[in-house]
Amino acid sequence: MFQLASVEHLDLNMNWSLININIGLDLACKLFYVTMASFAVGSVVRRCGRLAGGAARLSTSARALGGDGMPAIIERHGKREVIGYGYNGQPNYIDRVDYPIPAVRFKEETPQIKALREKEKGDWKNLTKEEVQELYRATFCRTFAEIQAPTGEWKLALGGTLIACSLAIWVYIWMKLFVYDKMPATITDPQRVEAQVQRMIDLRMNPVQGVASNWDYEKGQWKN
Amino acid sequence: MIRNAFSRALVAGRAGFLQLAPQSASVAGCRHMSKVAESDEQLTARYVQYFESKDIDHWWLSKHINDLAGTDAVPEPDIIKACLHACRRLNDIAMAVRFMEIVHFKCGNRVKEIYPYVLQEVGPTLKELGIPTPEELGMDKPQLALEDVYDM
Repeated sequence: MFQLASVEHLDLNMNWSLININIGLDLACKLFYVTMASFAVGSVVRRCGRLAGGAARLSTSARALGGDGMPAIIERHGKREVIGYGYNGQPNYIDRVDYPIPAVRFKEETPQIKALREKEKGDWKNLTKEEVQELYRATFCRTFAEIQAPTGEWKLALGGTLIACSLAIWVYIWMKLFVYDKMPATITDPQRVEAQVQRMIDLRMNPVQGVASNWDYEKGQWKN
Repeated sequence: MIRNAFSRALVAGRAGFLQLAPQSASVAGCRHMSKVAESDEQLTARYVQYFESKDIDHWWLSKHINDLAGTDAVPEPDIIKACLHACRRLNDIAMAVRFMEIVHFKCGNRVKEIYPYVLQEVGPTLKELGIPTPEELGMDKPQLALEDVYDM
């Protein structure tokens, strides 16, 4: 009988602290999941949407169909001059710092650029700085400085994450106000809490690191 | 090549990996485990030879520059000079300026030490051919902004 009684009492006491832990865990889990989700979502979902829409490069028009009727890849580099293999063998243009010379020039040849190319065949000292820049921009879209320039995307990601966190906290506040019951008297009533703590001390509960370890049994007071 | 020991280990590690893809045509950084690793001087000499060949065309020029950009090293001044002369033979100043940008980029976070040395070594060639450095053209800072396709 003694054993049953003590087990029952232990149960109640455990619940007293577990409720607080549960609420804390609930909030922590919410915050964790929302943070992770929003961080990923903020910078990924836009791209996923775009990729799905823009992946179709194959066509079944007569021009595109190869000899055996299968759709071929259309080369869309237009009249742009092919100058190399590119990073994957396709005649595309992309700015990459690890593959800096793409397969095609950036711009198609206009009469103005053609004239500059003629001038380029002569002495380069005769080219003005503006002409050099124009020739560069005819072949390349962005300079290295522009490729590596900061985009400020981190502000969107961080802001979105924090907004999602604050929404989570609002949801928790709503839950606390409208969903959770009031705390029972065993937690809110100071007299009852005092009696419970006294009982914990009497039972020497958690005497190494917990409640009873903070009580000085010789002097009959809390240790400081 | 101006390399550090860590990159040497990386290159040796990459060699084994490339062995599994025999159809890859990459030349630079392609060290096979069965052969002895190429020394810096050999690599320099090889690239100088590539760029000095009289009948170089745009395809090979692009390929060698891209391979150089893929190596974990700053090209030696000899290679840079040979490449600039190759650009001159092909009448392509855009490539020359881009190559100087590539060299600047390859210096990594030791730009302040390495790039002035490079400019000092290569400066006479730049003057002789009339190639402005990216800094002279104002390309060391962003000049134009490109709208992100995801924002359109």
